[in-house]
Amino acid sequence: MKKNKYLLLFASLSVLALLTGAAIQENFLKDWRRIQVQGQTDDGPIAVQLRQVVNNNLGVADRCVSCHVSMAPGEQSVRGAPLLVAHKPVVHDPADYGCTVCHGGQGQATEKLDAHGDVHFWPEPMLDKATLYAGCGTCHVALHVPEQSRLQKASLAFERLDCYACHRVDGKGGTLRPDQGGMEGPNLSRVGATAFDSEWYPKHLAKSAAATAGPWKTAFRTIAAEDLPLLGDFLQTRVAASQLVAAKSTFFSSGCLGCHKVSGVGGDAGPDLTKAGFKDPGLVSFEHVPGDGSIKNWMAEHFRAPASVVAGSLMPPAPLSDKEIDQLTFFTLSLRRKDLGDLYLPKDRIRAVKFGEREFATDGATLYGAFCAGCHGRDGQGRRLPGLVSFPSIANPDYLAIAPDALLAKTVELGRPGRRMPGWLKPDGLRAEEMKTVVAYIRTLGATEMEEDPKPARWVTAAPIAGKRIFASACAGCHGPDAKGAEGPALNNPVLLDAATDTFLVETVARGRKGTAMASFLEPSPVRSALTRADIESVVAYLRSLQGGKS
Amino acid sequence: MTTTPAASRSRLDPEPVPRRDWLGLSSLWAAAGALLFGVTGMLKLPKAAVLASPSKKFKVTLPESLAAGEAFVPPGRAVAIYKDAQGVYAVSSICTHLGCVVKPNAEGFECPCHGSRFAANGEVTKGPAPRPLPWLKVTVAGGAITVDEATTVPQGTKVA
Amino acid sequence: MVPTEEKDALREFAASLKSVPTRVLETAFRTGTPNTDRSRSTFVFGNVFLHLHSVRTHRWSLRWTTTMGLGIMSVSAFLIALVTGVLLMFYYKPYPEAAYQSIKDIHFVVPTGRLIRNLHRWSANIMVIAVILHMARAFYTAAYRRPREYNWLIGIGLLVVTLGLSFTGYLLPWDQLAYWAITIGANIAQSPREVTDALNLTDYFDPGGMQRLLLLGSDQVGAEALIRFHLLHVMILPLAIAALMGVHFWRIRKDGGMVRPADADALLTARPAESVTPVFNEAPVKTYQLAAIVRGRSAAVGRGQENTVPSMPHLFYAELGVLMVTLLACLALSLYSDAPLKELANPSIPENPAKAPWYFLGLQEMVSFSAFMGGVGIPAIVLIGLALIPYLDRETEGTGKWFGGPGGWPLVRFSALLGLGVPIILEAAVIRFGWLREWFPHIPQLIITAINPGTILTLIYALFSMWCIRRYQSTRAGALALFTCFLAGFIVLTIIGTYFRGPNWVFYWSPSDWPKH
Repeated sequence: MKKNKYLLLFASLSVLALLTGAAIQENFLKDWRRIQVQGQTDDGPIAVQLRQVVNNNLGVADRCVSCHVSMAPGEQSVRGAPLLVAHKPVVHDPADYGCTVCHGGQGQATEKLDAHGDVHFWPEPMLDKATLYAGCGTCHVALHVPEQSRLQKASLAFERLDCYACHRVDGKGGTLRPDQGGMEGPNLSRVGATAFDSEWYPKHLAKSAAATAGPWKTAFRTIAAEDLPLLGDFLQTRVAASQLVAAKSTFFSSGCLGCHKVSGVGGDAGPDLTKAGFKDPGLVSFEHVPGDGSIKNWMAEHFRAPASVVAGSLMPPAPLSDKEIDQLTFFTLSLRRKDLGDLYLPKDRIRAVKFGEREFATDGATLYGAFCAGCHGRDGQGRRLPGLVSFPSIANPDYLAIAPDALLAKTVELGRPGRRMPGWLKPDGLRAEEMKTVVAYIRTLGATEMEEDPKPARWVTAAPIAGKRIFASACAGCHGPDAKGAEGPALNNPVLLDAATDTFLVETVARGRKGTAMASFLEPSPVRSALTRADIESVVAYLRSLQGGKS
Repeated sequence: MTTTPAASRSRLDPEPVPRRDWLGLSSLWAAAGALLFGVTGMLKLPKAAVLASPSKKFKVTLPESLAAGEAFVPPGRAVAIYKDAQGVYAVSSICTHLGCVVKPNAEGFECPCHGSRFAANGEVTKGPAPRPLPWLKVTVAGGAITVDEATTVPQGTKVA
Repeated sequence: MVPTEEKDALREFAASLKSVPTRVLETAFRTGTPNTDRSRSTFVFGNVFLHLHSVRTHRWSLRWTTTMGLGIMSVSAFLIALVTGVLLMFYYKPYPEAAYQSIKDIHFVVPTGRLIRNLHRWSANIMVIAVILHMARAFYTAAYRRPREYNWLIGIGLLVVTLGLSFTGYLLPWDQLAYWAITIGANIAQSPREVTDALNLTDYFDPGGMQRLLLLGSDQVGAEALIRFHLLHVMILPLAIAALMGVHFWRIRKDGGMVRPADADALLTARPAESVTPVFNEAPVKTYQLAAIVRGRSAAVGRGQENTVPSMPHLFYAELGVLMVTLLACLALSLYSDAPLKELANPSIPENPAKAPWYFLGLQEMVSFSAFMGGVGIPAIVLIGLALIPYLDRETEGTGKWFGGPGGWPLVRFSALLGLGVPIILEAAVIRFGWLREWFPHIPQLIITAINPGTILTLIYALFSMWCIRRYQSTRAGALALFTCFLAGFIVLTIIGTYFRGPNWVFYWSPSDWPKH
């Protein structure tokens, strides 16, 4: 049976050869080994071994430092290969925080393609250079950023008041004496994160008064009262990540929270976005996405045309510039919060988690921008989109002139049951005091004060019977039979009928709404004759009768 | 290995195979070699290449109110850190006997497991511990204190 | 005390101490160098691992074409999977997410971890293939016949446990592939509901739901399911397979070794033995004493020449050779291709297509017609059919010969063509024209359960087999036809399921035609 012996000999020698190959591959040819053998310190070559940064509080075990050795704990002095350079000085020491917390990618991997996320099945591709600061969102979720225009105003105020003369912020300014380094005051790039003295202005004043010459006399000027809160906003948002702050403010101006939740706050119509930054490119369809197969590109295209990227999406396309789309993409990528041990909870998050503060600024403009602007438009002009119901213009002066605050507040609080407008007085919506702020802000949108209305809330005494007939001929064309709504809004809505005063209803019909399909019914139009005030009152009486006996 | 006299060999027990079976032997040795090589390789597996424990170097901020000779134990670390006029120093609080975590007290340290006692400088005063508690390397750079649990320094090394 | 005596005792002690290494070897291998027939025999039955073998092996058994080493290959693959599996358990954590992370760790940082995991995966695959081929070999050489009927049953048990081991191992990485394959598998376990639902019985009698609950320990695939699959994979099924293997091997020996044709000795005398060891070829002169108290025919009485060679070393060269070849195959495949690991399991986003391991894709293809028939009904029929073969075929013609029996190779060849052709035509028709549900949208489920491409295929095979029994007047001919047909059908359906089914289980000529993902 020589055959069997030859078989055994051949198979054994082949196994031996393959095993030898595998051993060489494992012990000599691994990428990280080939990099590490070039590593040198002053004391000689470094030990060739797997290195990693473990931080259980952050839940990282990053082996990135097996190749990027100089970023490993205590190995800053390693050099000898292009990859072996120390991380540039940063606040969050990579030897402590690890790499993936900021950069994304897969810290468990020890091979370049896998670690950088350039492989097919990859849950966390690395953030590229342009979106690097989205990584801050892993921990810093509550930066208290206001909406776009306010942020812009704040930034302009800082420039206008010449604060850059003494202070350097985000690599700009501090130009007072360029030849001597230029700085008189401290660098303010991170004051939003490290906190600053709220009494800075009186102290500035005092120093200026005490000084006899120099920049305190020449560069510093008194600041107008209305500029102080703007400067406060500007300082608050200086967290050394101006890109992220700008992206956040675009998000808080685009009304996304009206439908989406971020960390438990927002509407229910769309998917929760709290961890949208981890969206896996392997699990979304790129079928209708032009451009490359990166999640960044997918998000941008999705903002431009939601329904064509995700079939059946009810999300209205964002009326945004390309730059704003990029910012929204950037912001979405930054939605990657991780649960952190108390030791690593950043100040902003402590404020939100432990003291119940909002993750965004709570002025009226920001609240409106975050919750309402998606449907009602940034300026309250309303939106009309093919295939979707039209969203009313709430800044219409004709509306604001006759709508009492109670009507606005009730509408925001309770919404329009059965329509897309949700009620916002809910644990994951707006708080009671924020409600007031929003209502006050909506008033400023139309720049219209409400006209004095001496009449009580219910004063119409006409009979509903006649109103029903008039409604059927004059109103039902837009508002639908029985006021159930069609092209125009439904008028049988209990919240509307409960909160609207008679004056509001009568005046709405009498004056109409400029800029909408609703014309003044006191004037005749080509398709119908004019109504009298008595007619209008009977229509209102009819609408009241739809309320079901409630007064 | 007994050899049977030729006379007593039966039909079932013929002469030993005289010729050396080179092919058979080499194939057997090749198989043994391959399996042995494989097993040796496999034995590397249980020895973990990376440990799940955090870095032995850590940064620490001492409380302002820390009195001279009073131990500060950072959360989650078995190290007692002191600060006095000469500077900062760190003493490992892992018992040199069998690795229990010793507790700092007024006199020094006491071990809850087998009753070892240590003086404040780490010297053994009582019990089975064979060596004093080691002092750990401390670096102070720009106000930030870094302790390296993996590197010991001679007793009495204080860093200002 | 006399000093001289003390001195002698001490010297003796020293001599004993010196001889310890030799003595240890001598006591371990009591027989000495296995270089004579007697010492070789005692080497075999004095060794706990070798004594499952008979001391002498018939020359017929050692021909490569007799078994093709498939049984040993199955065992070898199992041993490789066993060793690598135990090693993987050093690092594997059976808890969702942690499981996935630990596989990543094994892949990236555990020394030799990647190779070990690949070996585990490939040896499992090779084991499934080897077991199926081994069964085919046993069938085609009619090795299941008396006295080996019961060992055939054990073999079927081994096939089932092998598939079970493979299936349970599939969930453990906790990636998308695993999660959705197991979700489908668990729902196949629940598919008897298809019938109980149609009969409105589910509220009172729900074997499907019970099976699924027992398998998953919950109403969905989660941590409970993972720990159960882990337990099955590393403890219950390995113990079961070890026990069954023990019985299987023991029965081989007790049933008289490998099957061989009645005229094996005559066939062998034509060829000279190549071994240096004299072949033991006279007729036995006496029966074994034990035979007096054992019922039935004794293995040694009334036989002609024995024509055997010592198992040590001839059989062991062959066995070791097959082991090394198996190891070589596993190793080569492991170095060539990594075991897959997809995204972390995500219960809200199904894989599309979610495919089971390849050897279940034939089943999955049938499941796409009817979950109950494809996943439970037809497999049960096939297993019962396989188990009944040795008890229905009680003929003797062709035992020990490839494709032996009435009909022989021409019948097998024709059956193979038929077995390949019918499912291809049936699949083509279904893919082109659809099935009952497409034609009559309101048809009751029970009718689809009863009449679907899977059951029709089974029926055609069965009818053909009946025809063969009549045509050849032989049960063996029917069995040859039916087994060949099912094997061919299994291959066709598996290939369609593996290569030609894309997202939503739609037919595609090639994965490159799949909609862009």
